[in-house]
Amino acid sequence: MTLTIDVQNLTKTYRVHQKKEGLKAALIGLGKRTYHEVPAVQGIDLQVHQGEFVAFLGPNGAGKTTTLKLLSGVINPTAGHATVLGHIPWKRENAYRRRFALVMGQKNQLWWDLPAQESFRLHQKIYRIETEQFDRSLNELIDVLDVSKLLKQPVRELSLGERMKMELIAALLHSPDILFLDEPTIGLDVVAQHNIQQFLRHYQQTRKITVLLTSHYMKDITALCKRVVIIAKGRIHYDGSLKGITDQFGGYKILTVQFADDIESPPDLSKYGTVQSIQPPQVTIQVPRAEVASVLSHVLNQHDIADVSVEDPPLENMIAEVFSLAAEEENAS
Amino acid sequence: MRTSSHPPYLDVLLTFARNNLVREMTFRMNFIAHGVAVTFWMGLQLFFYNLIYQHRDEIGPGSGWTRERYFVFLATVMMVNSLMQTFFVPNMKLFSELIRKGNLDFALLKPIDTQFLITFARMDWSALGNFFFGIGVLIYALIKMDYVPSVLQCVLYAIYILLGVAIFYSVVLAMATSSIWMGRNQSLDQFWFYITTFARYPLEIYTGSLGTPIRYVFTFIIPVLVVVNVPARIMAMGLREDHWPLACYTVCISLISLFLSRKLFNFALRQYRSASS
Amino acid sequence: MSAWLSMWWMIFRVSLSEKLVYRVDFMLGTLMRFLPIITHILLWTAVLAAGDGEPIGGYDRNHFVAYYLLVTISRAFSSMPGLAAGITEEIRDGAIKKYLIQPVDLIGYLLLKRIAHKLVYYLMAFLPFALIFFLGHEYFDGWPEPSILCAYGVSLLFAFCIGFFMEATLGLIGFWWLEVSSLLFIYMLITFFFSGHMFPLEILPAWLRPVFDYLPFQYLAYFPAALFLEKMDPAQMTWGLWVGGFWSVFFFLTSRIAFTLGVRRYSGFGG
Repeated sequence: MTLTIDVQNLTKTYRVHQKKEGLKAALIGLGKRTYHEVPAVQGIDLQVHQGEFVAFLGPNGAGKTTTLKLLSGVINPTAGHATVLGHIPWKRENAYRRRFALVMGQKNQLWWDLPAQESFRLHQKIYRIETEQFDRSLNELIDVLDVSKLLKQPVRELSLGERMKMELIAALLHSPDILFLDEPTIGLDVVAQHNIQQFLRHYQQTRKITVLLTSHYMKDITALCKRVVIIAKGRIHYDGSLKGITDQFGGYKILTVQFADDIESPPDLSKYGTVQSIQPPQVTIQVPRAEVASVLSHVLNQHDIADVSVEDPPLENMIAEVFSLAAEEENAS
Repeated sequence: MRTSSHPPYLDVLLTFARNNLVREMTFRMNFIAHGVAVTFWMGLQLFFYNLIYQHRDEIGPGSGWTRERYFVFLATVMMVNSLMQTFFVPNMKLFSELIRKGNLDFALLKPIDTQFLITFARMDWSALGNFFFGIGVLIYALIKMDYVPSVLQCVLYAIYILLGVAIFYSVVLAMATSSIWMGRNQSLDQFWFYITTFARYPLEIYTGSLGTPIRYVFTFIIPVLVVVNVPARIMAMGLREDHWPLACYTVCISLISLFLSRKLFNFALRQYRSASS
Repeated sequence: MSAWLSMWWMIFRVSLSEKLVYRVDFMLGTLMRFLPIITHILLWTAVLAAGDGEPIGGYDRNHFVAYYLLVTISRAFSSMPGLAAGITEEIRDGAIKKYLIQPVDLIGYLLLKRIAHKLVYYLMAFLPFALIFFLGHEYFDGWPEPSILCAYGVSLLFAFCIGFFMEATLGLIGFWWLEVSSLLFIYMLITFFFSGHMFPLEILPAWLRPVFDYLPFQYLAYFPAALFLEKMDPAQMTWGLWVGGFWSVFFFLTSRIAFTLGVRRYSGFGG
């Protein structure tokens, strides 16, 4: 497999003007401004092969969007190296800029007051797409996304989901080899989210393009990505398969026990693990993975059990745990 | 397959022109109302200067700016302003807004010159009506003067109007670019109005202890005074020898302005790329 | 009463810090305001010079300079940047609803906010204004007598009232007509021309003067300035003040009526 993205020690620090609240501060601020440095990305290493679908996960301000902007050459890094498709992104060669696309869920690049097709035609000119190829790509995308009836409607009259479909078409018209998606499903309802996911999966699988996606929705990620990169405070804390998160961070299992007797107060199970909830006749405890077997046999021996289940903790919880671990590390250092 | 060799700039420009026309046609009422308003304003201006010429035959003793010649001057003001309002001012407003809202990213990743993109994306066709109004005033004044300009005069007039527009463009680009440092430039419109105020009067009024410094500052530092004056003189007063130095200067300074404003623009973009996240 | 006062204080403070946040913009804006005066003065100097300094419409060079300086004061009271546009925008995007739900009166609230903004503006613009008037004091014949100063104060109050309520009325037209930006543009041009912002109304031909005299626009710029310069006799002054008072009340009423009818229409549509 060819290496599409190769990032080494990528770092981005930016300055923000510290605005203070209130009247007095504003008066003092008349004279000088105070800045402080904010590290957005701190030494990221990342290798992505052609055809991979990689998810960036992280809390707000973790550096996900900044990384995408760096890789698309919009902003310059403070330090570090990166090559994408053999180009250095921040050299901003047109040859590179024709080979990727960036879609941001919170910003739109289509002309607000015009039908989407006018924006598409503008893209054709800017990206120098041959008419024949343009028509072919456009028809195909319109077909798959089922938007043929909306092409002549001003973008401002479209729903959020319809607009996102149009944004995707605009981004894909020049058949990019890499697609950067920054929260493409933000604010969409469940049906629209599902449609966009389906489309992305289909498009990525048929074209074998490389996709980097950031999202807050676990659904997006479980539906689309095999590989997950967890970023917090500008550093990578996990890079691997979705399942691997469970192995690495899911050090415990959730054990749910249902007692046979319809009793008011079920026996105390806290000696086996952390009790999560007691809803008679059901008790849920968190048990270290290594002790699951022994706890299970103990419980089954000593109590009259109607039903029992052992589950992995929900993915969200594990990721939240990674985030808080990252925050602790940051504070410690 | 994607890389045909000819530059896409002309194609893109024409698409911009077309898209903007489509957009304005969807707000037809506004389009017409705006055109009417601007024409009305020019009418008021003419009325005002007509009023002055009821009290005097000339503005500035010995300046040569008689009523009809002054109307040539006003016609030039209208044409230059109209070109600016049609092509460049709306773009610069949009640009400073993009900076303010942090929406510049899309423009930065297109495979095309960024300055080109932000200079021509918007066109306000309704403002072009004033250009033709200006031509009307010009023809009226020339007929009243009973004066037929030579072909050379007309060609030079057109060239100097374009050079003037280039100077104005450079100034407004520099102003819009400064939004990157100032954070907000909501009053770009106002600033633009005030700065160009000086360009709307003949050079001859800038005398005395108050006027002379202004004349120098706005000829040599922010060279907006030559924008209208040089072409208007060519058309209203003919090709006079004593006007040549300023005319030559205008050619140089317009090229220098374009060059410097582009430098500033690129510098600002570098700042933006390094400072923002 | 104290609740009312604390709300006032709050609005005032918010306005002040808003202005201070964008101070570079503000400072430049205030300075730029004087630029057109300079060109006007130079223009009139050139015009007068072409007739050997003979006054036009009773104005010699000093009068012209004094007039344009005084007009900036009138405009500091009567201009309402963003008022009408702000109202129409709130109507269009539905933010107007909050005035229908909360116990706040739209016009009252906007008036308070505007007064606060104006006070902040006078506070911050005092120094540049003082400097300019100090530099230009020789163009004035000296202070007018106290009774005229009093009348001047009243005329400035009218300038504020007419400016505010006229523009508020215009903004409220947005209830009926969503796209009022062109209308506002024309209003701006008419104001600029008919208010005397561009030139002292005395230079108009005699047959046109009455039109300007009975329109409300002259109170936004010309009237206070001419009053200060004692360009009118006592009878004209008294009459002018009565007409100014009439227009203030008139536009106060139109704004209230427009608001009441507009709200009725708005809630009739179900917003």
